[in-house]
Amino acid sequence: MRAWKAVVLINLSLVIGVGWGYAVWGLRASRLERELAVARATALAGVEREWIVEGVVRAIFPELNVLVITHGDIAGYMPAMTMGFRTASPKIQEAVSVGDAVRFTLRGVPPTIAVTAIHKMATR
Amino acid sequence: MIIDRHDQYSGSGTLARVYALGLVARWMHLASSIYLVGASTMIVIAGRSDRPTARRWEHRILSSARGLAVAALASGLVVLGVQTALFEGRAGAALELGAIARVLTETQTGHVWLVRFGCLVLLSTFLLLRLSVDRRVDWRAARGEGVLLGAAALVPIAAAGHAAAVEPDTARAIALDGLHVIVAGVWVGGLVPLALLLRAAATTEGADARPYAVLAARCFSRVALGAMVVLAVTGALLATIHVGSVAGLVGTSYGRLLLAKLALLVLVLLLAALNRSVLLARLAGDGPTVGRPAMRRLSGFVGAEGLLALAILGIVAALGVTPPARHEAAVWPFGIRLSIAALEGTTGEATRALIGSQIAVLGLAVMIAGGMLRTRRLPLVAPALIALGAGVGLALPPLAIDAYPTTYLRPSVPYQATSIASGAALYHESCVACHGARGAGDGSAGLALPRPPADLRAPHTAQHTAGDLFWWLTNGIPAAGMPGFGARLTEEQRWDVINFLRALSAGYAARGMGSTVEPDRRWLVAPDFTFAVGPTPPRALKEYRGRVVLVVLYHLPPSRPRMSQLAGREGTLAALGVEVIAVPTDAAPDAIRRLGAEPRVLFPVVTEGAEAIVTAYRLFAASPHAEFLIDRQGYIRAIAQSGGEAAELEPLLAQIQELNQEKAPAEAPAEHVH
Repeated sequence: MRAWKAVVLINLSLVIGVGWGYAVWGLRASRLERELAVARATALAGVEREWIVEGVVRAIFPELNVLVITHGDIAGYMPAMTMGFRTASPKIQEAVSVGDAVRFTLRGVPPTIAVTAIHKMATR
Repeated sequence: MIIDRHDQYSGSGTLARVYALGLVARWMHLASSIYLVGASTMIVIAGRSDRPTARRWEHRILSSARGLAVAALASGLVVLGVQTALFEGRAGAALELGAIARVLTETQTGHVWLVRFGCLVLLSTFLLLRLSVDRRVDWRAARGEGVLLGAAALVPIAAAGHAAAVEPDTARAIALDGLHVIVAGVWVGGLVPLALLLRAAATTEGADARPYAVLAARCFSRVALGAMVVLAVTGALLATIHVGSVAGLVGTSYGRLLLAKLALLVLVLLLAALNRSVLLARLAGDGPTVGRPAMRRLSGFVGAEGLLALAILGIVAALGVTPPARHEAAVWPFGIRLSIAALEGTTGEATRALIGSQIAVLGLAVMIAGGMLRTRRLPLVAPALIALGAGVGLALPPLAIDAYPTTYLRPSVPYQATSIASGAALYHESCVACHGARGAGDGSAGLALPRPPADLRAPHTAQHTAGDLFWWLTNGIPAAGMPGFGARLTEEQRWDVINFLRALSAGYAARGMGSTVEPDRRWLVAPDFTFAVGPTPPRALKEYRGRVVLVVLYHLPPSRPRMSQLAGREGTLAALGVEVIAVPTDAAPDAIRRLGAEPRVLFPVVTEGAEAIVTAYRLFAASPHAEFLIDRQGYIRAIAQSGGEAAELEPLLAQIQELNQEKAPAEAPAEHVH
């Protein structure tokens, strides 16, 4: 065989080999990405969810049925911050006072969620 | 990438032997991979020839390349085995297929190894094929393919070395390393083939290939010159990435290996300069010292260059398994160091250094000018050299500062409120007697000492690194009567004391800082701290970088009016993008309840971690109520001290606005003292 033909063959096989490997890897990566996006979307869309979160009561608005709580991370929904949550019943905000460390239950179809239960934690 | 550190393995005998075997295998693997690139390139540079001697040389180089391709494959297998053994931490893993497969499929080193080994297999197969290259196009294709496959097998090595662990700019480091390696391959790998060609042509029978050899040598010389420039530039950049400081260069094993490599390189460069300027010019002609004898001598010298280069590759193999200097604690080997800080407050010495540096620069300029002259260099260069020496001799001594082995040691404990607080406690236990409660060096026990204790608040601390303080704290200063605490305090505790001293001295310097921001003057680093609000996960001040932060140290009840005021204007503060962190000075765990329900306080109130924050920040402001305005880079820019009474809020809002409008964000302060 002529040398230049052999060289062309080797280079072609090299390019094809590398290209094939890259394509397979790339396809797999994009498929995984798609699956992840689908899984995320189904996890969030229109499904009722429930979290149990710890925090500290910062303010109470009885007339609005709202508790302002500095809370920890709410997995898959929001990071730690201070914000107001609607309460499912007035009894809930009557049970706590400002400065209480609490463990509370959040339930609802995001973004419509409410505090459905709350318990004071032992102060450290 | 070899992440292991050999000291970790020196304890177990077998692994140490495996490690040594790995080093030798790496050397062999690197040298043969480099030779494959250089030999293929050298053949291409020399070009195709019909002269029998030239063809014999080409065949000889090709058959040596075949041998070395096999050697590269074999040593590559050993390197892989050793790598596996070191990853697994046991020598037996080197021969276990399962463990090897894990390294190959799950580590970047393994992936790179697979790519490189594939290219090597392809290259050796290609070299073993006996292809006819009688026609020009075939010859070009076949020899060019050799270069291509050789390079493809060599360059990815960069993605498995230290460069792959550089953060950030990993890609840049890998590209630099790849360029460095491939250019080194072209130059270093071509030396031995060139020496063989010159030797063959210098014999009586080789006369037919002499013009071919002369042309090849000249061409290679040009290529090598270009290669050296690229090597110097990429090498310098890589050294700044991996070493980064003089202390790292002279004080770590990586740095010293690099120095050894540079020393050998200087020898190689001297030989190369001699070859290029003297012997290469003598190749043409047929006098008693030109032509054949020159060719024979050049062959010997180029061969010597090749041997030195082989030694350099040995050092490179060792560098590859040594942690880069940047990640090691440098041990400063000299009793002094040079620093411009030595001149602070000394007019006479500063003048001396200034005059000396001027003379040195003048001498250097004249020397360069003299070097450009063609004739009569000596009368100009000799005095210039003397001026340079005298200038340096005059300028350097005033710059010298005492130094210790730990001078460039980086603190292992970051500049944090908790560290400062425990440092403060240790200070009050062990240091107060002599250095005084405020660090002024006025403790009662200090009066009896041979030298008065240092004023720890003094600004001369700029002349001392944290490592200097660490040395004195550990070993004491016998002449001054300062005891060493190396046995009494743990290493961490000593760094705590040093962090406290840093904050103490910074606080003394900050006593004039007022409630107005000075534009673009950032110098007071806000010590980092962690805090928690109720049962929420702890956060750090550092996480607020990029935002303006107002740290409020408050004290109830006197601070209540001011706190109510801040709480009432929370919306305005939020709109300006400022984060308020309130810290109760009594560190009460029920601080939020104590603030009460009205007015509503919604910014973070620290319920955990307040004690350390108060201890550290009280060093900057001692008043009952204090507000620290921290800019987006983490520097304290204004301090408002008061009794906690309500005051106009507008000035504070104006200061915040000022910080928000500042452009050109400075680099964030380092976590450590320097």
